[in-house]
Amino acid sequence: MIVSWQLLNRFVDLSASPEEAAFRLTMSGAEVESIERPGALISGVVVARVQSLERHPSKENLFVAELDTSKGKAVCVTAATNLKAGDKVFYGAPGATLPGITPHGAASEKVELGLRDFGEVRSEGMMLSAAELGLPDVDIVEGILVLPGDAPVGADALSLYGLGDVLLDISVTPNRGDLLSVLGIARELKGLYPDSVLKPMPWEENVAGTKDWPVEFGTIALPDDGCLNYHLGLATNVGIAPSPLEIRVALARLGMRPISNIVDATNYVMLLLGQPLHAFDLNTLPEREITVRSASEGEKIVTLDGKERLLTAKDMLVTSGKETLGARTRPISLAGVMGGKQTGVHDDTGIVVLEGASFSARRVGHTSRRLGVASEAAFRYSRGVDPTLSALGVDYALFLMSEWSGATTGYKKISAFNAQPEPQPVVLTKKKLQTYLLWSDMEESTQILEGYGIRRANKFESEKFGENVRAFTPPTWRPDIAIEEDLIEEIGRYRGYDKAPVRLPGVLPRRGDIGAETSLAGVLRACAIARGYVEAITYSFLPESFVSTLRLPDDDLRAHPLFLANPISQDWMTMRTTLLPGLLNGLRESVASGWRGPVRLFEIGRVFLRDEPHSDSRSHSAGHRELDVLAGLVYSGTDPRTPWAETRDDFLSVKADVLALLEIRGRGAAFTRGSEPFGHAGQTALIPGIGYLARLSPAIERELGFAEPVYVFELTLTVLENAEKPVYTPASSFPASFRDISMLVSNDRTQDEVLAEIRASVDERSSAKILESVKLFDIYSGKGIPEGYRGMAFSLCYRAFDRTLNDEEVDKIHNSVRDALSKKGYNMR
Amino acid sequence: MSDLENQVEEVKSSFDRAVVSIATTDALQKLKVQYLGKKGALTVLLKSLGSLSPEERPLAGETLNALRDALEQKIEDKRQTLIRAEDAEAEALGRVDVTLPPRGRPAGAFHPVAQTMHEIVAIMQGLGYSVALGPEIEEDYYNFECLNMPSWHPARDMQDTFYFPDSEESDGETSKRRLLRTHTSPVQVRAMLRYGAPLRIVCPGRVYRRDNDPTHSPMFNQLEGLLVEKDVSFSVLKGSLIELMNGFFGRELKSRFRASYFPFTEPSMELDIECVECGGKNSNCRVCRGTGWLEVCGMGMTHPFVIRAGGIDPEEYNGFAFGMGLDRMAMLKYGINDLRYLFDGNVSYFLSGRDA
Repeated sequence: MIVSWQLLNRFVDLSASPEEAAFRLTMSGAEVESIERPGALISGVVVARVQSLERHPSKENLFVAELDTSKGKAVCVTAATNLKAGDKVFYGAPGATLPGITPHGAASEKVELGLRDFGEVRSEGMMLSAAELGLPDVDIVEGILVLPGDAPVGADALSLYGLGDVLLDISVTPNRGDLLSVLGIARELKGLYPDSVLKPMPWEENVAGTKDWPVEFGTIALPDDGCLNYHLGLATNVGIAPSPLEIRVALARLGMRPISNIVDATNYVMLLLGQPLHAFDLNTLPEREITVRSASEGEKIVTLDGKERLLTAKDMLVTSGKETLGARTRPISLAGVMGGKQTGVHDDTGIVVLEGASFSARRVGHTSRRLGVASEAAFRYSRGVDPTLSALGVDYALFLMSEWSGATTGYKKISAFNAQPEPQPVVLTKKKLQTYLLWSDMEESTQILEGYGIRRANKFESEKFGENVRAFTPPTWRPDIAIEEDLIEEIGRYRGYDKAPVRLPGVLPRRGDIGAETSLAGVLRACAIARGYVEAITYSFLPESFVSTLRLPDDDLRAHPLFLANPISQDWMTMRTTLLPGLLNGLRESVASGWRGPVRLFEIGRVFLRDEPHSDSRSHSAGHRELDVLAGLVYSGTDPRTPWAETRDDFLSVKADVLALLEIRGRGAAFTRGSEPFGHAGQTALIPGIGYLARLSPAIERELGFAEPVYVFELTLTVLENAEKPVYTPASSFPASFRDISMLVSNDRTQDEVLAEIRASVDERSSAKILESVKLFDIYSGKGIPEGYRGMAFSLCYRAFDRTLNDEEVDKIHNSVRDALSKKGYNMR
Repeated sequence: MSDLENQVEEVKSSFDRAVVSIATTDALQKLKVQYLGKKGALTVLLKSLGSLSPEERPLAGETLNALRDALEQKIEDKRQTLIRAEDAEAEALGRVDVTLPPRGRPAGAFHPVAQTMHEIVAIMQGLGYSVALGPEIEEDYYNFECLNMPSWHPARDMQDTFYFPDSEESDGETSKRRLLRTHTSPVQVRAMLRYGAPLRIVCPGRVYRRDNDPTHSPMFNQLEGLLVEKDVSFSVLKGSLIELMNGFFGRELKSRFRASYFPFTEPSMELDIECVECGGKNSNCRVCRGTGWLEVCGMGMTHPFVIRAGGIDPEEYNGFAFGMGLDRMAMLKYGINDLRYLFDGNVSYFLSGRDA
């Protein structure tokens, strides 16, 4: 919220500079995001009087004005048509500076005025429009800003109409609705600066009217307790016109567009006091009765912005008419949120009925959130408006209307009340204060609280508790103060939290525990990074199309992602069921950015799976679970050349990475031939219970534009959280004997099957376990190897734990194993 | 001079001549055989000892043994010389251009945000905090209601939320409707319900808000902290966070604690640290925008409402909570300007400065 320093000083007498005050406000909870001096870009601009105005001697559409500047005469050429002799204007002589106007209309660096020739007439500087002063909204006339007749010729513009004002842009937290006004900030400063003095309200005393209304008007009924009180004021003989220049400048500077004296009066009061007001044209009210009631389910109203709003029973309406059986009253305003289109003030409005009401924060908050309407009124009501302000706001606005439009006021208000919430005393104990702040001066605390208008409650005088327990009653504008901690906060923020001493937490009967998931992630990422992988974090959202890109079939849970109800874009509308698309996108980004080398990526993150497939993917109801997953991707790069022999990654080099990730958790893993919808038919392995390793199917590689193979793996992490402990055994102290076996193996048989048969053959022939290991050391095909086969050569290590195996014994067993394999159909070499 | 002495002298001088021209260890081995082998010149002389008289033998034996020792020593010396020369030659031939690119895979790289998370978790573990995790798809109750943010609460405006379709149907049963958590704070109540008090936890994780512009990503990372013990003062919150910041940035940073507001803490504050880029010395600093301060963490004393929602008696226990953006911390530490680079998995960014 933007606050004017000049207006602030009409509410509180402050000795602090804007900078000092901004610092105190910031440190105590009302963060001042910036201090602006919009006038700083304006210099050398003064009031001048147009002495004469004539057509330019040769150029059509131009006028030549002779100005009296109090320092002499000046000649200005202008295209504006709204001037006449005798008008007062702002004049910038050569050397004066103005805010430059960017193409978007925002003020930027300043520009300096100079001399400019228009044909034979030289213009010495220029007369200024509101836009040229950086205030395009202030003047409704196209052309030069014409000043009020009493503008003193020669006076510096910055001394007039608030043009030299200082603005504080304050970020008000949602609990402090009271700070959404100049009055509120002034009270806050009064609390921060105990020596400062709050000034009386800036309108005449006894402004409340006494006259009866000259027009018939019925009663106000408040059947809905969401309206705490409701006041109607009256202004007749209204002359709709622009507001005084000073007011228009103030409104524009505070971010509101000046409209007319009547509307501006309501907005001005809202900015100054924080009380939203609404002006109705009496003649547009269907009936001269007001009922504030809850809406019917499905009831509609067209609001000021022209939109039709569909309502529920939780919304509240200001309506015209009296409730009778069978007939609903007619909505004229969505209470606290926005007025109705039919009943607003128009250019020819003559009688204004002014509404000042107190609506519950909760109800207005509900409606404005549900409808997504963040009007100035709704913003304030939903953060809490002092319920005692509504009547004062009406009085002040009527006073301004009579000043600005000559309207007749002084009529009695018509009012109605529901039960008013009385601020309840809150107890402050020395004990809790001491616990929280390590400081507990009850006397000083009382002074601090009273500075904020939080008064010590007399009725809670405590012989019983002594001076260590005191009760305080918050003012009507501080509904946020309800519990003891709220009082401690007031004291803490006044004193400044930097004053509190620094302590470390004490000893706990428990160590800090990193937890299974996080420590597993720590180990795996270190391993993957050491093996050449780059750690990625990709979006948890995916476009719906990932299901078809990966060819996920309908019976695959991954094909049924959860959909967001309100996605931010088509690309981010479902929750990922696999990390694969994110990594593929990372690969695409890498290649697109010109990276030609290998790409190895991994991500540790969650996937979101429905408990069961759902026929209508966009609806819901079925439960879901979140799984921690590690996924990896390897691509040799668009230019995999190196000076060395082949170093390109392939299925088996990536398998080594996957195994490393498993082995670091004490797990070997069986890889079995498997299939994935997106996997290469011949290069896809399942790791049962853990995941998969696959090359992408060539069709998908092609579709995504990858020239080299893409290898991917995905591992479920839950099963790896508990690391298996390694089992250590010392080597046998007896020597080993080595024998080789070379054989033809059908391509249909896996290495694991052959190894199992070799092991079984040895075990069948020996009572003790003597085969220490079998290792594949060569694999060959081509010349001499029949089609459909490959040659495999294994090295067998025979070794016993209790004795030396002699050559004869080993030969005997080895030959017998060869025979057995031969009988099983292997062609031994 | 006796005959033997002449022969000794001759063997000695012929050996000395021969050994000088030896250039390889193989030739040296041959020379050794030639003199000390079974039929070698010295062996022949040793064998001739038998023909000497018993009186001559000791002296002659001594002379010949001395000669043998001398020859063996010379051969060994020569061998050492030759080995050194041969090694030197082989090493010269085997020279590798050490500036060539390495073969095999270079190391990968960490993600700055993940690294930040692991570092901060380790710092906090040292202060006795344990890691607690929670779901990313949350229920309205845990994300908002139990944190003192009922559906009408204006604080919800600060957190534009992604919902799942089940949210729209029943207006009555809103507390179970699913959404993407907008902060890591829901883990507070979940952890209190699960572990009770006393409790010290940090909760890192992904969070989501419906924002997408150069300074906001719809997905980002936070770390929440919660301590619930007896008679907890704000000073302990201060100490915990100062340690966290100084530990993470690796030096003593100026800090200031500003009053603020969160519905689930009372009192509430925010922590500003001195600008890690300019230290407050550059009025045009792009990181702190010339303010000298960086807002890094929201916090406060846990609201009794929240403690109660966690199944703990706020009259017996109190505590504090804090929450910070891990992405922001990572960006500050590693000088990253644009959030968007963090989540697209482009290796050329994370391997900046390395050759493709």
